[in-house]
Amino acid sequence: MTAPSLAIETRSLQKIYYSGFWRRPFTGLDGLDLQVPRGEIFGFIGPNGAGKTTAIKCLVGLQSPTAGEAFLLGRSAQEAEARRHLGYLPERPYFYQHLTAVEFLDFYGQLFDLPREVRRARIGSLLERVGLSGAAGTPLRQYSKGMLQRAGVAQALINEPDLVILDEPMSGLDPLGRMLIRDLILELGAQGRTVFFSSHILSDVQSICHRVGLIVGGRLRAVGAVGDLLTAQVAHMDCTVRVPIDTVLEGDPIATCGEERILRIAPERLDGLLDAVRAARGTIVQVQPNRRSLEDLLVEEISRAGTDPQQPMEGQGARP
Amino acid sequence: MNRVLAIALNTHREAIRDRVLYSLLFFGCIVLVASLVTREITIGDEDKMVRGTAMGAISAFSSVMAMFLGVSLVWKELERRTIYTLASKPIPRWMFVLGKYFGLMMTLGVSLLIMAALYVLILGLGQGLPVVSFYFFLGMLFLELMLLTAWATLFSTYSGPTTATAFTLAVFVIGHLADDIWTFGQQAEGLAMRKVSAALYWLLPNFELFNIQPEATHELAVALPRLALAAGYGLSYTAAVLCVAVVVFSGRDFK
Repeated sequence: MTAPSLAIETRSLQKIYYSGFWRRPFTGLDGLDLQVPRGEIFGFIGPNGAGKTTAIKCLVGLQSPTAGEAFLLGRSAQEAEARRHLGYLPERPYFYQHLTAVEFLDFYGQLFDLPREVRRARIGSLLERVGLSGAAGTPLRQYSKGMLQRAGVAQALINEPDLVILDEPMSGLDPLGRMLIRDLILELGAQGRTVFFSSHILSDVQSICHRVGLIVGGRLRAVGAVGDLLTAQVAHMDCTVRVPIDTVLEGDPIATCGEERILRIAPERLDGLLDAVRAARGTIVQVQPNRRSLEDLLVEEISRAGTDPQQPMEGQGARP
Repeated sequence: MNRVLAIALNTHREAIRDRVLYSLLFFGCIVLVASLVTREITIGDEDKMVRGTAMGAISAFSSVMAMFLGVSLVWKELERRTIYTLASKPIPRWMFVLGKYFGLMMTLGVSLLIMAALYVLILGLGQGLPVVSFYFFLGMLFLELMLLTAWATLFSTYSGPTTATAFTLAVFVIGHLADDIWTFGQQAEGLAMRKVSAALYWLLPNFELFNIQPEATHELAVALPRLALAAGYGLSYTAAVLCVAVVVFSGRDFK
């Protein structure tokens, strides 16, 4: 059983692939423990091959985990009925080229047993929402990549899902398309729906997610609210000081103008620098802590996993 | 069942918007019409020759269509990755396999009807409307197509179209030689050979059970118990093959 307040839960989820004649194992997911409460917008980030898509495929029933369990809205992800309230957009979506957008959405509506009238109403509003009303009767083979992505988003919402899982929804979209998806995610979140999405566009993740999970090497390295993850970890301090020109100070000089210098220094070495400034009878003009960006965090975790993939991230548990 | 029907209709719609189907159907119709030529090169029994050639064409082109479309039935969904959005809906794997299968059978049924209508037209204009044995021939042919398509679907659930075509073709050929395999096997001196031939005979389908083309060509009556036996055999064998296809497909991961 899983808590009813959770939209997604995985317990020690593991996926091992076997390839080649000798069936050499490759670990795609290595004991993923994740909990996403209902109503949350959750960003799933990690480098290529980290296990994001594998985790999503295990959640939506496209792959069976080697070990562990996954739950969607309180039901085992292996049950087809668990997907009744799920909307899913795969990475680089491919659709039936012979169908028009209306036929395409109608087909997917039928797979949810939606009555004809309901389908008709939803198709019209969805096409309008994703900006495809003008191309409703055009076969999908004539759609551009961005249009296909929009059609994909529409099919993911045809059943008015409680949980929406989007795999790289902004991939390959122009700025307008990205904005549309971003607004849509926020709109779904405001409606109380759970949105779980993976993305490489970290600025978007940072700006719209309640929480993010960082996966590297098939393991969840960090999870939490963006603010918590980044506030707790100040990357460096920029110090503006005024000291005699010949004073030797530690830190990386960023700019120098007469006696005034801007130095970049690690937080743990800040006290030493300030003491040296006082000892030289100098003036501390400004001390500015610089928070890490999500990108800094990601890069750091990748390099950490590269040297010691078994080491969990310091200061952050793998569970929310 | 609505969801199975939705998948079936989508499969059917995809097939009828595919130019390959029209090409095959077109050539089938051309050969049907060309069967009239045999009248000119035959001495005596010209009508019978036309009937035999035309029914042969219907049978051959329907089988080619079943194999050609069946072997890529599931594979195409995987290759084009359309399976991702389909399998992530509340659709158990058995519904998917059955939906695809019924959709293709719908397409084959329509193609068969078009060729049958052309046959009736050709005969109606030349030698009068076909007798009842022709309609039994169509029914038996459809049963054969059901079984052949089930095998093609099974192969399509775990292999690419090249391998699936080779396997389906092998089943088709062996299935038409089933009686010969039994006869020759039982005449073999070695026990192993006899056992292998017996195993092949019982495991693989016997498509000759559905073959009533000689009776239809000669406009002879066909015993109803024989038709009932063939129908029972065809339907149960088809169901069994589809069950295996569902089991195989249920274990598949989509990478």
